[in-house]
Amino acid sequence: MSGLTAGSSHAIEHLISQLASVGYHADRQLAVALHLSQVLGRPLLLEGEPGVGKTELAKAIAKLTGRELIRLQCYDGLELRDALYEWNYPAQLLHIRTCESAGHDILEQDLYERRFLIKKPLLQAIEASPPGVVLLIDEIDRSDEPFEAFLLEFLGEYQVTIPEIGTIKAMATPWTILTSNRTRDLNDAIKRRCLYHWLDYPDREREEQILQSQVPGLPEQLSKQITGFVQRLRQSEYAQSFSRSPGIAESVEWAKALVALDAINLDPETVQSTAGVMFKHREDIQALQPMLDELLSVQE
Amino acid sequence: MWLGDSRRGKFASNVMGFGRMLRRAGIPVDSHRILSAQQALAHVDIGNRLQVQAALECTLVSRQQDLEVFRQLFDAFFKDPDLAQRLLTQLLPKTKSANQQVKRSPRAQEALRPIIRNQPEPSHKEDEIRMDAAMSASDRHRLLHADFEGLNASEFLLIEQLVREIPLQIPTIASRRYRPSNLKGSQLHWGKIMRNMARHSGEMVEIDWKSPSQQPLPLLILVDTSGSMQRYARLMLSFLHQATKTCRRQVFAFGTQLTDLNAAFKLHDTDSVLADINRQIPDFGGGTKISESLLTLRTKHRHAIVANRSVVLLITDGLDTGQPNDLERELGWLKRQARHLLWLNPLLRYDGYQPLASGARILSRHVDHMLAIHNLSHLQELARSLARLLYQVR
Repeated sequence: MSGLTAGSSHAIEHLISQLASVGYHADRQLAVALHLSQVLGRPLLLEGEPGVGKTELAKAIAKLTGRELIRLQCYDGLELRDALYEWNYPAQLLHIRTCESAGHDILEQDLYERRFLIKKPLLQAIEASPPGVVLLIDEIDRSDEPFEAFLLEFLGEYQVTIPEIGTIKAMATPWTILTSNRTRDLNDAIKRRCLYHWLDYPDREREEQILQSQVPGLPEQLSKQITGFVQRLRQSEYAQSFSRSPGIAESVEWAKALVALDAINLDPETVQSTAGVMFKHREDIQALQPMLDELLSVQE
Repeated sequence: MWLGDSRRGKFASNVMGFGRMLRRAGIPVDSHRILSAQQALAHVDIGNRLQVQAALECTLVSRQQDLEVFRQLFDAFFKDPDLAQRLLTQLLPKTKSANQQVKRSPRAQEALRPIIRNQPEPSHKEDEIRMDAAMSASDRHRLLHADFEGLNASEFLLIEQLVREIPLQIPTIASRRYRPSNLKGSQLHWGKIMRNMARHSGEMVEIDWKSPSQQPLPLLILVDTSGSMQRYARLMLSFLHQATKTCRRQVFAFGTQLTDLNAAFKLHDTDSVLADINRQIPDFGGGTKISESLLTLRTKHRHAIVANRSVVLLITDGLDTGQPNDLERELGWLKRQARHLLWLNPLLRYDGYQPLASGARILSRHVDHMLAIHNLSHLQELARSLARLLYQVR
């Protein structure tokens, strides 16, 4: 037992350092959740504000494990034929016509051979040979309830049934990451099948690490100022003036923009002129202006 | 259970105890989750507090709003399970005493009592002259719980009848999902055509069509329960509960603050809904601060509104006591998020009504459709107006 626990502690530390080596700075709690989702073979549901690195995590995992990343972007009205498989109807039609002109008989099973099957992300993920793939089901909250119900079955068994072919079972369980922006509450049944992790905004130290690794050529002084500024913006007294607080993705973009402008210091003018990188609403940019001096005055 | 044997079972049963405690605190933890928590613990270092917490958290919790309660209970439980037990009893003080007396719903009560025909009509009561908050609004943050009774049998029947006779036509949108159609649809149903062709040795016997299915839009209902609206609240909420049962809905009440009524509206029995609402709305019959309530909606319940989809139904008289600028800003946000912003205004008492109060003026500028009702105390009129308002959107 002690050997196992020491091993798992080591595995978690190892995972954190591996993720850092591909540019993703995870905290220990996230690492535990990831580790568990790997050893238990359970999907991991990540929820959090936009731009906190949910999608990036799946990319980072694919990178460090060397597995292929298969991404299914969800949207309202997503159907099985977009997510799972579709028959290649033009090719089937052509096949029928060719058989006719050659005088062959057409058998139904000829028409439903695998070469006429177009594999969509979920089927690709299941049919991948070991060690399997990283399957990212992105923004699941955007899909509708019928699709969620289908996923329920898929994530439970990792197998699909195609009436004309039969049941296909996964050769290797894909490492599945689901993300949600919480535009609606997901069904409890699907949450039960997943491990859950709420991705929060990172603390200051971790955000600095992220900026340093994502933005080459960023002066240390400026990176400190940026993180300080963004962290203050997310505090509740400022945050409620905006329709959305800037996430990590925004602060990385902002840092890149500032580096491109050769800025060395944050001053009201620079912030105002680059505010469009952080905020995507006119009202938010207007709301930022009066509080700029206050936000910048606490700059250390 | 091997009592006294520290190598076996102890930790597992602790986890189970912890899971049950979470359940009592309102976090949905079922046995499947407890099982996976136990599995998860086998894969982390159980000497490491942070790892244990993380493992339990990702298996037992699946809503952000539960995280805080989870962390507090985790701290308490794994320090001293008895203390946690006591904490928890403090969390739920009222339910025990409420259980002791048998409380019947008015409907059951009425069924038990011999029917008394010559009861005074409820409308007589309203003619009495007393301090009346209707047509006025106060900015006092008055904290008062509503004291609704359940529905009596005739009200219950009336609501059921109205829901049946005046169905609400929820606006729909063509979904991106296709259904086979018998008539000529918008696209060829290739799958079906191919299957038929395969059966008829390659001959296309008939053409099959498919067309997009219609999907009702989600509904966000914001009901004013402030002083000027309080006398209608009970029947209005009961009616809304029944009439929108089949839709995807989000319901909030507002006065000086916003109250999430979704948990209450999930109950099936309208009486339980009313009882639950009684408990929840802390500012019943107080002032109206639409802008502050909308601010809460924007910051705390953002996911209640599906951007560019939700049909927002505001039921208020628009007698707002907040800052006009704030109202302007928040309504602007709401308008941009909603597919349709509808306002049901029960203030209209005479025909020449103009929205003159500043709140009402701002509202009328932002909403897509406004419908005024002469008298909200007639449920029929409310039902008809709601149906008419939703019909305008089609």
